[in-house]
Amino acid sequence: MDFILEPLNLVTFFPLVGVLLLLLLKNEQKKIARWVALVTALVTFGISLWVLSMFDASNPGLQFMIEEDWIQVAGWKIKYALGMDGISILLVLLTTFLTPIAILSTWKAIDEKVRDFQLFFLLLEMGMLGVFLAQDLFLFYVFWEFTLVPMYFLIGIWGGEKRMYAAIKFFLYTMAGSILMLLAILWLGIRQGTFFLPELIAKGGIPADVQFWLFLAFAAAFAIKVPMWPLHSWLPDAHVQAPTAGSVILAGVLLKMGTYGFVRFNLPLFPEAAVQLAPTMALLAVIGILYGAAVSYSQTDVKKLVAYSSVSHLGFVILGIFALNEQGIAGGILQMVNHGISTGALFLLIGFIYERRHTRDFDQFGGLWKVVPVYAVITLIVSLSSMGLPGLNGFVGEFAILLGAWGAGTAGGPLGTPLFAAFAAAGVILAAVYILFMFQKMFLGPITVEENKNIKDLNWRELLVIVPLLVFIFWIGLYPKPFFDLIGPSVSHLVEMLPTAVSTVLH
Amino acid sequence: MVDYLAILPEIALLVLAAILLLVDIRLKEEGKDTLNWIALFGLVITFVLTILLAQPGEEEVIWGGMLRHDWMAFVFRLVFIAGAAFTVVFSRGWEAIGDRGEFYGLLVLSTLGMTLMGAAGDLVMLLLAIETASIPLYIMAGFSTKDGKSAEAGFKYLLFGAMTSAVMMYGFSLLFGFGGTTDIYALADAIAAGNVPTLPLMTSIILVLVGFGFKISMFPFHFWSPDVYEGAPTPVTGFLSTASKAAGFAVLVRVMLVAFPSVTVEWQTLLAILSAITMTVGNLVALRQTNIKRMLAYSSIGHAGYILMGVAAASSLGVISVVYYIAAYLLTNLAAFGFVAIYYKQTGSDEIEDYAGFSRRSPGLAFAMLFTFLSLGGIPPLGGFFGKLLVFSAAIQADMVWLAVVGVLNAVIALYYYLTVIKFVYLRRQEGDEVPFPVAKSQSLAIIICVLGVTFLGVIMAPMFELAQKVASSFF
Amino acid sequence: MIPLSNYLIVAAGLFSIGLYAVLARKNAIMILMGIELMLNAVNINLVAFWRYLTPENVSGQVFAAMVFVVAAAEVAVGIALIMTVYRRRDTVSADEINLMKW
Repeated sequence: MDFILEPLNLVTFFPLVGVLLLLLLKNEQKKIARWVALVTALVTFGISLWVLSMFDASNPGLQFMIEEDWIQVAGWKIKYALGMDGISILLVLLTTFLTPIAILSTWKAIDEKVRDFQLFFLLLEMGMLGVFLAQDLFLFYVFWEFTLVPMYFLIGIWGGEKRMYAAIKFFLYTMAGSILMLLAILWLGIRQGTFFLPELIAKGGIPADVQFWLFLAFAAAFAIKVPMWPLHSWLPDAHVQAPTAGSVILAGVLLKMGTYGFVRFNLPLFPEAAVQLAPTMALLAVIGILYGAAVSYSQTDVKKLVAYSSVSHLGFVILGIFALNEQGIAGGILQMVNHGISTGALFLLIGFIYERRHTRDFDQFGGLWKVVPVYAVITLIVSLSSMGLPGLNGFVGEFAILLGAWGAGTAGGPLGTPLFAAFAAAGVILAAVYILFMFQKMFLGPITVEENKNIKDLNWRELLVIVPLLVFIFWIGLYPKPFFDLIGPSVSHLVEMLPTAVSTVLH
Repeated sequence: MVDYLAILPEIALLVLAAILLLVDIRLKEEGKDTLNWIALFGLVITFVLTILLAQPGEEEVIWGGMLRHDWMAFVFRLVFIAGAAFTVVFSRGWEAIGDRGEFYGLLVLSTLGMTLMGAAGDLVMLLLAIETASIPLYIMAGFSTKDGKSAEAGFKYLLFGAMTSAVMMYGFSLLFGFGGTTDIYALADAIAAGNVPTLPLMTSIILVLVGFGFKISMFPFHFWSPDVYEGAPTPVTGFLSTASKAAGFAVLVRVMLVAFPSVTVEWQTLLAILSAITMTVGNLVALRQTNIKRMLAYSSIGHAGYILMGVAAASSLGVISVVYYIAAYLLTNLAAFGFVAIYYKQTGSDEIEDYAGFSRRSPGLAFAMLFTFLSLGGIPPLGGFFGKLLVFSAAIQADMVWLAVVGVLNAVIALYYYLTVIKFVYLRRQEGDEVPFPVAKSQSLAIIICVLGVTFLGVIMAPMFELAQKVASSFF
Repeated sequence: MIPLSNYLIVAAGLFSIGLYAVLARKNAIMILMGIELMLNAVNINLVAFWRYLTPENVSGQVFAAMVFVVAAAEVAVGIALIMTVYRRRDTVSADEINLMKW
């Protein structure tokens, strides 16, 4: 019993309670199914807040550690290990925070097979939480792969017209990367004698050339998930076809599993390879930033635009991580959260308008400001946050990342040249261009399409969905200190493990 | 006394076969489905008896070295008997099969042959066991004489099987001649002592591999399996693809590890290459199939490639991975062919397209099917995943990372066609998919057992892992 | 005395002829006969090895006897299966028995 009541077990597996309840229902009992899912998600959020209240921000190590032997035979040491530190806590909170919001957003949008939808959604939440908390490579992999299945169905059953294509592409693409990671995990587990992450990190001693390959194998899985240029082609399809709630979770949390993986595994496990490959990763990140921004600009489908903008934004996160210094990594982690909130909000807003007009084409809109002022104002705020306007959350993360990249770009730093930071900064400007372009097309000017004259503004439920996100957009934008305080100690602990990086920071 | 207790399962199977044939004569036409129950209970009782009374003890060598009474033999016995029991369940009500006493008799006799294959420690015994297992299978594959495809399947299976086993026997004769003994354990000593010149030794290893390769449908001896799998009555196909294949692997593992340890490096490399080709060919061709039985046939060639990886590792972990993989594969593939059988009986179609909307007709069955195919695809936390994991680990441990990489790429290809089936079951619709789908109770129970077993193997690995370790300990 | 190698060469030749028949012949009966030739080659090998190398041990003879048994069983089942196919298709040519692609 004590084992079940461990805080982290409770957070991770509480959604299963909802799943079990849902299994007792029928698909026709739509209302009850929605409420069960919502309440479960809210309670999970509550539990995660309770965990947060007990979290000791000054401690850089893993907290609430659960360590049980799982498989211990014939030289196999696999543990059931969950733990939380400053790197994962915000992502856990983001997950538990976005899930109820996403569920609430489906109240009207999902009307077919409601029970199954909520069931997959809660399973997905469980999988994601497990990914962020697992401290054993094997366990991590199990959760990591597990998330694919519910997402496959969310896209495949409730998605748009080309949903099957998108679902299968999503599944295979991510599977292809992660199975390479599996090989690397097995190599580590067999050669190092354990799958337990802290033990592996403490042991170290992997020769640099081997580190190089292992780094690449892990990076393959994470880069596809992020997705980094040039492995991003599954993302626009998945986003465009996914139902709104699916997009929110996909952009908000699932993609962060990739960037999180880089921080959690690639840096501490393969420090030398990380330093060696940092410029390459940064280069890909910067290409991603510019490419994502450029392609966003040429889209006519709003959802696709936001999808490509994710490629751009996550490029920033990767750049921050591979600056290999405190500002960069902390900024990267905060930016993961920011992107989750802003892009999640954007997808929700697109979903709202789609429910009314059943189109996402720019040409079908124009002049919406006069018809739906509340909706327009909220969209403006979220868009500004997404493009990084000072005072809103996006700015804080991007600024820290650019500072970090600049610092790493000084002579002798891991990136070697400040050009990365410079080009990334240009990406910020491009972001302003495509986002304002989108806003202008949709909301300003005269009303060109007749149907747009009678659109209703946001109702109470929709406001309830979107306002919590706005709160965080302002909070992080104006007073990010509590967030950085949570991240800080763990990140500096991590940076200390990167031998070369430390010396450059001190210079 | 130990001698008799050790072959208790075989005795029980023989008695069961005799009972089935005798009862068949006495039964009237209407009461023939009693045979199904008799066969099922007989096999279940044998299974229990094996666990209770026929566990390996101190004495390993029995019947003058003809048989071995070790964990390998024990575990594989259970695999075969379980496979036969599930096959009996899925044969229930199958046209021209479900009510035929001789069908069940042949099934049980074939199982008897397989249990002996798992235990054989002597070339003569091995030969007899292989043929005892195979000949009934030829007949079973061609059992639906009214169905042209089935007759053709039996015919092709026989010709190919007889040919490869003749080649294998020629290899046996050379081994006997140059090694001077038929005992495979003594053979190892003769080879280690250098009594056998290299050329005849390598030749006979390759000749022997032809026969084994046929049983496990290894490249280039896999051509028969798609046709036979497609043509044979589906319950028989399920049996062929699991128990028969497992028997082939049992023999392969024992002979390779016991008789030829002094030339491990050579056959290891050979098997590694064959493993890579086998799985690649199987998976690539499976991509293009539209008939679900053919697709599963090619997929099972792919799985043979994965299992071969474990054999090629020639290590303790390798044997563990083979045993674990086979256990998981047995349950998943039996369930997979179970669905195909149930679906065919209801709709008369084996085309993947016709599975559209299945999830609406029978949500429970479709859910089980999802589990099964995900396990075949190697998604955690299911048994198939852990099997693959062990196989890859064995390859990595044996310094064959390239093979593991090939395996991994294949796993992705395989996932694609498994997802295609799931796509039809879950995401597509067709007319008339609101009509509920009736399933016999015994069959849904069998499928539930399979699915639970697969999940168990994926979540709580320790028991099966320890068992597999015991198997490995009889070789290392 | 005739050396062992002569027997082995005869057996190898017989085996090759049998294998050729199996691979090249179209008629199912002929294929079965080819398989029989291969098995006979096995038997020549077994008996020759036994007589020359291990005459004190009966295992070679037993082995050969078992091969007879196997051969007989395979032919019996084989002919029966060919009969069923023949009844349905009016042919015993392996080429024409192709409801399914190989």
